[in-house]
Amino acid sequence: MGRAKLPRKSTNIDMTAMCDVAFLLLSFFIMATKQKPPEAVAVQAPTSVSSKAVPEKSILTTLTKEGKVFIMLGDDTKKAAILADINTTRGLGLTPAELTKLGRMQFIGMPLGTLKGLVNLSSPLPADKMEGIPIADSATNELVDWYRSVTNVYSGGSSKALEEMMLIKGDNLAKYPAFKNVKYALKKNSLYKFRIVTNSEITPVGSELYNNNRAGVDAAGEKLK
Amino acid sequence: MAEITTNTTTKQIGVKRLNKKSTKVDLTPMVDLGFLLITFFVFTTTMAKPTVMNVVVPNDKDSTIHDDVCSSCALTVMLDKDNSIKYFEGSAENAIVKETNFSAEGIRKILVDKKQAVKQARGNANEMVLIIKPMLQSNFQNFVDITDEVAINGIKKYYIDDAEL
Repeated sequence: MGRAKLPRKSTNIDMTAMCDVAFLLLSFFIMATKQKPPEAVAVQAPTSVSSKAVPEKSILTTLTKEGKVFIMLGDDTKKAAILADINTTRGLGLTPAELTKLGRMQFIGMPLGTLKGLVNLSSPLPADKMEGIPIADSATNELVDWYRSVTNVYSGGSSKALEEMMLIKGDNLAKYPAFKNVKYALKKNSLYKFRIVTNSEITPVGSELYNNNRAGVDAAGEKLK
Repeated sequence: MAEITTNTTTKQIGVKRLNKKSTKVDLTPMVDLGFLLITFFVFTTTMAKPTVMNVVVPNDKDSTIHDDVCSSCALTVMLDKDNSIKYFEGSAENAIVKETNFSAEGIRKILVDKKQAVKQARGNANEMVLIIKPMLQSNFQNFVDITDEVAINGIKKYYIDDAEL
């Protein structure tokens, strides 16, 4: 008796298309992902309902939970000028070569007096070994000097541009008095407006801000653009 | 597609045929690798985008500027240790100090109620003044949270009183 033969088909599937899709997706994700901006030290930033994005160029002051302060001085051209300014105003006696070395550091978190020694170290000091910029009391608050040099360098431009660049990033658990000392340094240099880096949070439903956002008006009751 | 189809039907007589191997490549491991990488990137990418919050601090070099605050418009919140808040209404003399926290039922409700009360008493909710007093034991998060509440509840006037710290 003859048996009905089922036609046998190959189980090979052409994987090319699948492969194409996989790598297309991969390249999309890699390109769409923005690189995380470099950080001096990892801090857990608080959350806020603000929806403003972080500006590209900034003077970022980081406050860790131990109360240490680090500063990152924006783009390279201004950075060199800021370092040169603080070198002359505080008489640090750094040579141009040492200034270039200092400029290559992403952030600064040491007292001014130790900078000369720091750049001449054979191996770079890790961030967690740095003691931070002294801010403890108003007489020796070196952040005042840093901000003075920053304002000196940016004095030509609009003050609004500088205000938008002054970022403070603090850890959730940083003590308030430490933040007050940072604020003191800003005020001392007539910087009355600055920005705090936060993670975004959803606006609570039913609150005034939520209703304003839905109605498309800002806090003053004016239409948003 | 990827494999090159070779014509096997034509036969040339007299020519020695080379042993033709298939040019098909098994792409399955390649696909595996692709998806593995995608999964890796998706999981390691943090979606949380950092944002910025504006803060304005007063210029207190000029001591001639005074703001008169009606005592029924004022609400003072003291940020204390362990994320607690102590608050009182009106002036500091014989004020009843109560305690609350940073939850929606806590400080937010108090701020909304106070705004309502000021609106009823003075006809304008914007006359309300919030005085924020961070204490020694408070942390940076508390300060950001209370400033955030100011934004959420649309409070127009607030002061940060940390002169004694």
